[in-house]
Amino acid sequence: MKVVELRDVVKKFGSFKALDGINLSIERGESLALLGPNGAGKTTVVKLISGLLKPTKGDVRVFDRIPWKNYEVRRLMGVVSHNTFLYDDLTAYENLQFYCRLYDTDESVIDEILELFGLKNRKHDLVRNFSRGMKQRLSIARAILHDPPLLILDEPTAGLDVEGRRDLIGYIAEICKEKTIIFTTHNVREAEELCDKFAIICNGKLVYFGDVKGDLERVYLRVVGYESG
Amino acid sequence: MKAVEIARKDLKIEFRAKGTLNLMILFALMTSMMFSVSIPLSLAKKIAPSLLWLVFLFVGVLGYGRAFLREVELETLEGLKISPVAPTSVLIGKILYNLVLMILMEAIILPIFIGLFNLDVANPILMVLSVTLGNVGFVIVVSSLSILVVKSKMREMLLPVLTFPVVFPIITSTILAIRKSMGGDLEGILSPLALIVGFSIIMFVVACLTFEYAFTD
Repeated sequence: MKVVELRDVVKKFGSFKALDGINLSIERGESLALLGPNGAGKTTVVKLISGLLKPTKGDVRVFDRIPWKNYEVRRLMGVVSHNTFLYDDLTAYENLQFYCRLYDTDESVIDEILELFGLKNRKHDLVRNFSRGMKQRLSIARAILHDPPLLILDEPTAGLDVEGRRDLIGYIAEICKEKTIIFTTHNVREAEELCDKFAIICNGKLVYFGDVKGDLERVYLRVVGYESG
Repeated sequence: MKAVEIARKDLKIEFRAKGTLNLMILFALMTSMMFSVSIPLSLAKKIAPSLLWLVFLFVGVLGYGRAFLREVELETLEGLKISPVAPTSVLIGKILYNLVLMILMEAIILPIFIGLFNLDVANPILMVLSVTLGNVGFVIVVSSLSILVVKSKMREMLLPVLTFPVVFPIITSTILAIRKSMGGDLEGILSPLALIVGFSIIMFVVACLTFEYAFTD
């Protein structure tokens, strides 16, 4: 079953064409890494899938529904971005409690999830006192509260130091086992570690789609270098 | 119910940080004091309804717009957009939050203002009703218009520019209603109050119908 499907998707911002005829599909249980240089269009793809943007042309379907029209389909996805969507003046627990209520999720899962991410002993601390790494862990906890079958990770390791990145990738690998994943990154190694399919976007076009592992860095440099001229 | 959750979350943040409420109260007290010091009491009593509404107007534009602006500054607005919540619930949540701020403002400012100007109010209940209904309409307009300016760099300046022409019928009707309540004119107050209620309902319906377009993409 196709979890996500993009057909001939074009997205324009004014006269600027951010995406140009993207075709992409992801089956249940697959994990797809969206790679590409800055400004390639990765985040635009993610925003289209999560319903934050409407396509200018083409069709975007998530679980066979149109995400920007259908609010209920958003229950089936969890989104982690480099923005954490957390409120600094609420505690970790209160943040998760708020999102539990928005997603009609039983609040009893909060403690379990905080434990999973090593934040249980800080649950009554204000998020403004958290480090960037802790905030990002809490952000992933927020995204999986409602146990979504589709998890979208938009550069979740951005702004983290090497150790923070390694820890976060470990947490993500742990929770991603039974989910469909879309993971955007510049980092080819992270992509290879987490995903089994790879799409490379450059200048708004899909320039590579495949499952080559081990040699991805060379493929990435070749197609991105070629596309950038 | 999602609207209530959004309002509850905003209130929890506001009562913890107290940024908006403190600013609103401070600004309202300062303006009221300045008016009371600089305008002779005999004249002030005549123009008190306009002065009172001026205070609420400035304070409201300053404070009520913050409900959405704060979400933008904290980069949490997208968190609401990707959640399974209808845009109208988000709008109603923000209106509820602003209504609570408004009631608190009224409870603090109204007695102080009446005391500072030594106003004789023939019918205090009608005066409170007039101010409250006017403020409810004002909150609805500011809350729904503030989403339009959140992406703009000039948002603090744009919001009053957009708000004042739209809210003008409420301003004039509320000033008239306050004046009638001060004079105890029960019959004369009905038409301005009806206009405020009617206008507020229309603005609320229009906001609910159009908010989705402003909220998404």
